[in-house]
Amino acid sequence: MSSEFEAHLQELRRGTIVLASLRMLRTAGYGYRLLQELEHRGLRTDANTLYPLLRRMEKQGYLTSEWNTDEARPRKFYRTSSEGIRLAEALDGEWAALTRALASITDHPLTDEEH
Amino acid sequence: MTTTLTQRYIDATIRTIPLPAQDDVRAELEASIFDAIEARVEQGEDRPAAERAVLTELGDPAALAAGFADRPLHLIGPKYYLSWWRLLKLLLYIVPACVFGAVALGQTLADAPLGTVIGQSIVAGMGTVLHLCFWVTIVFVVIERTGADAGVRWDVDQLPEPRQVGTSRTDLIAGVLILALSAGAILWDQFRGFARLEGQSLPILHAGIWPWIMVLIALQALFTVMLYVRGRWSPAFAVGNTVLALLFMSLVLTALGRALLFNPEFLHTLQAVSGMSGETLRILAVLLVFGVIGVSLWSIIDGWIKQRRSAR
Repeated sequence: MSSEFEAHLQELRRGTIVLASLRMLRTAGYGYRLLQELEHRGLRTDANTLYPLLRRMEKQGYLTSEWNTDEARPRKFYRTSSEGIRLAEALDGEWAALTRALASITDHPLTDEEH
Repeated sequence: MTTTLTQRYIDATIRTIPLPAQDDVRAELEASIFDAIEARVEQGEDRPAAERAVLTELGDPAALAAGFADRPLHLIGPKYYLSWWRLLKLLLYIVPACVFGAVALGQTLADAPLGTVIGQSIVAGMGTVLHLCFWVTIVFVVIERTGADAGVRWDVDQLPEPRQVGTSRTDLIAGVLILALSAGAILWDQFRGFARLEGQSLPILHAGIWPWIMVLIALQALFTVMLYVRGRWSPAFAVGNTVLALLFMSLVLTALGRALLFNPEFLHTLQAVSGMSGETLRILAVLLVFGVIGVSLWSIIDGWIKQRRSAR
């Protein structure tokens, strides 16, 4: 990964993890699974960022959690709550608006009439 | 078993997070770390190396714990930094100088030797600086962690006033008026006597000193008018101001030291009437000395500050 722009790239990526997690956890999943899946889809994130984030979102009511003890090792499964789905929709809308705004800037850079 | 390192890591992490969440975090972290190690082992790494790699990637347990407990990893964040810095600067401008002056005054009144006066004052001043920095910072660290509202909002009314560089007519009038009143008071004192003790009027100031004070007042008046005509402070004016202040200071202090400042007859009568001891008079004299030095120093500093502002 090019380290030249790393700070800016990271700045831009921050916040997308919340939206990605909310979308992904519409089907229940546990921490490490989510971490792998995000990386697999090209949204690499650090474990020490993701795990506290999941707990925070649970505390804020955007995720619900449940311990699954069926397997040999008990795992905490998170699922997006209805409140979380509303948050995801709001973030989606913002994301789309930003994309449109950036696209329109790319098509028409600063117009001359401002002079 | 992959216990020791992982166990130590988890212990270190959950130690500082709130008790109710500890067991939950422990169980979840155990599972997550185990999963990550298993994934690496499946890729062909040996278990101890995998464990090390996973824990290294998770990073400092204290940082992870701060993430779980939603704790800041800084002493004072951007929300409070400016309030902290402004308050600290304000206090540092005011308090140490006051403490220094107060201790110097107290030591002098207690008749301490000059070295003690200076030493004690400096120690007290420096101690105050340390205490101010420490306690103000501690309070803000607590505020940062409790999330309390410091109640400070910025609004446009706080913008600094444009600094006046020139000299105004008001300055001239006020300055000359005060000088004229002082001169009038001194003349009145000499020829009619300010103090009325035991039915007789006595001048307060020594008959030998007042002409010199009048000369200084005249010079000061000349300075004020010249400053007004010139319209702005310059290094020459700041130097002139400094010279005038030093002249005033040395005149008063020298006269006081040689018992030439006050009318001796006035002092005698005063002592006789009020029953004040010589010690009381000495204390009054010390207070006067500090007052004169303070006023003169302030005048000198003020002149140079104004000079610097108008130089910009």
